[in-house]
Amino acid sequence: MVGQVVISGLLAGALYSLVALGLALIFGVMRVINIAHGTILMLGAYTTFWWFHLLGVNPYLSLLASMPLMFLLGLLLQRTLVTRVVDAPELSSLLLTFGISIALVNIAQLAFTSDLRSVEFLTGAFLVGPIALSKSRLISFAFAVTITLLAFWFIQKTKLGKAIRATSQNSEVAMICGINVPRIRLYAFGIASALAGAGGSLVAVMFAIQPEMGQVYTFKSFLVIVLGGAGNYPGALLGGMLLGLVEQLSSLFLTTQLSEAVAYVLLVLVLLVRPSGLLGGRER
Amino acid sequence: MQNGHLLELRQVTKRFGGVTAVNRCSLELAPGRIYGLIGPNGSGKTTLFNCITGLEPHDDGEIRYKGERIDGLRAHEVARRGIGRTFQIIRVFPELTALENLLVVTWGPFDEAHRRAQELLRFVTLDRLQNEYAGNLSYGQQKLLEFARILMTDPELILLDEPAAGVNRTLLNELLEAIRNLRAQGKTVFIVEHDMKVIMDLSERIFVLNYGEKIAEGPPGLIQSDERVIEAYFGR
Repeated sequence: MVGQVVISGLLAGALYSLVALGLALIFGVMRVINIAHGTILMLGAYTTFWWFHLLGVNPYLSLLASMPLMFLLGLLLQRTLVTRVVDAPELSSLLLTFGISIALVNIAQLAFTSDLRSVEFLTGAFLVGPIALSKSRLISFAFAVTITLLAFWFIQKTKLGKAIRATSQNSEVAMICGINVPRIRLYAFGIASALAGAGGSLVAVMFAIQPEMGQVYTFKSFLVIVLGGAGNYPGALLGGMLLGLVEQLSSLFLTTQLSEAVAYVLLVLVLLVRPSGLLGGRER
Repeated sequence: MQNGHLLELRQVTKRFGGVTAVNRCSLELAPGRIYGLIGPNGSGKTTLFNCITGLEPHDDGEIRYKGERIDGLRAHEVARRGIGRTFQIIRVFPELTALENLLVVTWGPFDEAHRRAQELLRFVTLDRLQNEYAGNLSYGQQKLLEFARILMTDPELILLDEPAAGVNRTLLNELLEAIRNLRAQGKTVFIVEHDMKVIMDLSERIFVLNYGEKIAEGPPGLIQSDERVIEAYFGR
């Protein structure tokens, strides 16, 4: 039983890490808490849903559509709206991204209705001894881990990734050194949105989707980056896995509603005991 | 290059609300020389550096680099024109390695950049620490790293904000030697420094600011005996 729960926790955690890495990226580079991050995830989920239903495309292949589309949406949002509040007080960016989120959710409700929709693909489970592994969750886990590691490699090893890290450490010095900080911010928002879009595609294969589904992922991503350390990219990976495990393990002993609350109790505890997060604000 | 000047400032003014931090400041820098900028605390030296490098947009006047106006350009565009600078307080990227601190500021081919970065790390004797996070280096090592980072982009004009602050005598001598080498390579160096011995020894020409205004300019010998300068530092 515990083994089953731990596996489920890791499966969920990989998805949280993927989505939270995007939120951490935006916060790291712009000091903006993007309330619309989960909403972009929702649009990624609908991209997969429609590609599957209208075109019959394998939902995992639809990542090739949801990620570029959300990347472009991210560029558009950053270039037209978010860039105006980057150096403004934090409340401005919170209100703006909250507004973007409300607008996108309403557009989605008008376009897709509020009906629950699902992508029925790969139902059933693999049985490994006493442990049942949902096929869709297992494959989604593999995609989430792969995309997260690729994104992490990109941030650590490529020139653009290094520029993103430099900008997140000191944007003023980055500018003085010739790094085009406005462009880095633009790309960072695009990449973060692509990660959210990928998360949405993977969620669509596992759960029913509806326009308001993103909110919970925004909150969980926020929780993950607080756990790991705000703007700390490895922290986002660790925080995501930790959140998945805590949620699943607590569901062993508590009701579903209470196990959801455990995650938020954890958030409060971390803020009280170690406000800089588990990795102590180190971004490596 | 207009009139043979690398950098020209004409009546540059910067205000913060009711405070005029830099007041109608004009100066010219010729290529391949070392210039000093001195003045009491709060006289506008760092603000003037910020205006030149595009960090603070100035309110009036014009700034020309190689004859072309650079005011209005963003900081990264100014840097790419060939102006590098350090800060009063060391600002390395603490969570990038020493090597990454140099690689991140280049925009050329990777192999060439990597070779140059390693060359520069050897030059500042940090080659054995190239994979160490910059935040773990000592103060002096970070100072050297910041210096190497400027050289990485091969700027023609280098602005150094208090390079001697907080460094020991050995390191200071190394830095001064490196600055003289830059001049020998044809670079122009513009230094803000409170250590009078350092600035007088290094500079060929010195500008003096007081309350944002340029009150004197000339060779070190002349500046040391200028009454307006003595008054600005010690009062009447």
